[in-house]
Amino acid sequence: MTYDRDHVVLSVRDLSVTYKAERGLVQAVSHASFDLHAGETLALIGESGCGKTTLNLALIRQLPKTASTFGDGIFYTYRDGRQINVLELNDRDMRRFLWSECAMVFQGALNSLNPVIRVRDVVFETARAHGMKREEAYKRALKLLEQVRLDAERVMRSYPHELSGGMRQRVLLALSLILRPQVVIMDEPTTAVDILTQRSILDVLKQLRDELNFSVIFISHDLAVAAEIADTVATMYAGEIVERGPVNEVFYRSRHAYTLNLLNAAPRLSVGVERLESIAGKPPDLIEPPTGCKFHERCSFATAVCAQVQPPLVEYEGGHLAACHETGRVLIEARETRLVSAP
Amino acid sequence: MDVPSAPPLPAQETASGRKLTLRARFRRLRRSYTFRIVVSGLITIWAVTTFTFFLIRQMPGSPVEVKIDELMTRQSLTYEEAYRAAATIFNFDPDRPVLLQYADFWGDLLQGDLGNSITKGGVTVGSIILRYLPWTLFSVGLALLISFSGGILIGLAMGYWRGSWFDNIMTTFASILSGLPDYILALLIIVVFGVQLRWFDIGSVRGGVDPTITPGLTLEYISSVLKFAFMPILVYVLASIGTWILSMKSSTLSTLGEDYVTVAKARGLPERRILSAYVGRNAMLPLVTRLAISVGLVVGGAVIIEEMFQYPGLGRNLLVAINSRDYTTMQGIFLVITISVVFANIFADFVIGWLDPRVRMGAGDSNS
Repeated sequence: MTYDRDHVVLSVRDLSVTYKAERGLVQAVSHASFDLHAGETLALIGESGCGKTTLNLALIRQLPKTASTFGDGIFYTYRDGRQINVLELNDRDMRRFLWSECAMVFQGALNSLNPVIRVRDVVFETARAHGMKREEAYKRALKLLEQVRLDAERVMRSYPHELSGGMRQRVLLALSLILRPQVVIMDEPTTAVDILTQRSILDVLKQLRDELNFSVIFISHDLAVAAEIADTVATMYAGEIVERGPVNEVFYRSRHAYTLNLLNAAPRLSVGVERLESIAGKPPDLIEPPTGCKFHERCSFATAVCAQVQPPLVEYEGGHLAACHETGRVLIEARETRLVSAP
Repeated sequence: MDVPSAPPLPAQETASGRKLTLRARFRRLRRSYTFRIVVSGLITIWAVTTFTFFLIRQMPGSPVEVKIDELMTRQSLTYEEAYRAAATIFNFDPDRPVLLQYADFWGDLLQGDLGNSITKGGVTVGSIILRYLPWTLFSVGLALLISFSGGILIGLAMGYWRGSWFDNIMTTFASILSGLPDYILALLIIVVFGVQLRWFDIGSVRGGVDPTITPGLTLEYISSVLKFAFMPILVYVLASIGTWILSMKSSTLSTLGEDYVTVAKARGLPERRILSAYVGRNAMLPLVTRLAISVGLVVGGAVIIEEMFQYPGLGRNLLVAINSRDYTTMQGIFLVITISVVFANIFADFVIGWLDPRVRMGAGDSNS
């Protein structure tokens, strides 16, 4: 999988999100930075509640009112080279930016479509909101629905309840591409469907991505899916991006203890079941996070330094970044355990 | 037609074929949704009518006894004199067995005759209903329409802009209104606007319309009708709007949490479209069923208000009929109420099917 390494579409700089809660402020995302290139697929992995979905909702400014976002900015480059900061858009420009530049396929496809509106009318209203002609939208939707291997004419006439879960997921995928956005965010698009549907959705997604050349931010619990589809992987822990790099670097030469633990907790065909280890302890409290490295309480590599000093995100060879004090020891163990199944 | 053979064979086939189609037709009829709805409606009407028929005769005192009591106290007649007087006034034999009365009632009803009023000599129940039903339909119907649409819009706005000053004020207001019974509201309005502020001359707005104005489609007549109906409508609206507002608000809040609303926002749809087609339309679905119940109760639903404002509706007549044990009038009015409830429910089924494709009848052909 190749992508244009010189053309950055979305550049997130020092983005933080907090939620107001009764006990205090929840640090859901802290100081996240990354670049997304044209045609690149970035997989965000991490435990539930680590801030993946919050980070993505922050990118399209769809967080609930109890959340506040701050940071240097979310810089987006249009196809004509114009650059804007998404955080500074006014309401009208934001509305236009949504879906036509950055679309999102949400978690839970079953309930993502209005039950009283036909798919056709969803297409029309989306087109109308963004100033696209009805006929053009209809034609494009038909083509996309065919590309996601649906009976396009019939689906257009259907209400959501007449479609199965997998069909609805594919409708949403088609719908997200109708305005030709440069960035598509996919929040666990395959968790609610069975394994065969998941397979076909992933195949369709890869095919469309090669054809239409959009960038994807892919959120997943499923590391195998992430490994298959991603160019770049970013690990999130307690609201921070703790490791980021090309997919093979992160998966086979992990430099952060948490990523290594996460990978060892996932079943692999090449390694026996007895090697499966779960990560000890619970995710940390985000209102009063631990000092130093937020993972140190659960980490088997932790030293006295880890409990006191927060490790900076350091760049290593191969465009690999990690924020871990014990990255050397982690890398050695990663080589021993992971490379058994290296390609 | 390439085998034009023996003529008797096709004849036989046609006969059996017709037989089959008839049976098939009957089967299809039994399965048809409309047919089932109509039959179940008719059964409901029959059951309710029968039940009320016997039940009202179980009330203490018959129309004759009530009249005898009245004659004895008012005109100080003896019991025998009063009995004879009452029996001549009423077209009613209290000694006739109830089952025979029931048979008479159905016999007349099937011919479209609701019988004569027992207490009002010579007046048919049909004419009472025809005379008073329009007033009730007009006043309570209009009031329900205002109350429902107003409640839906206010509740939607409150839910959508939750926590705003509008929401806070209206929540208090709606809670108070939904807690106040209609007769208290009627009294408050009479006392405040009629007696203290004198915005309305309570004495003169009794009845449905100023009797000195000749009926017709004139501005004068219509404005008089509206003026006389104003206070009953105001009380009905105030008494019922609180509940509509609060239900719509809670329904809106739960709809706002649905994924498809979030997705609609992420699709960059204009707020107007999200508010109407996404939040409003889905949030009002559960309220339409309740509207159907209210529509069904329009006929008998404003008895107290009509009585307090001396409005010439059917509800007041029902009250008078109950007090004087006017069985036939009661039966007639109950029949109208039952029919309207049944029809309102059938109507609601169709409206909900139209609003919500998921409950549409014969879901198979919704694609066509």
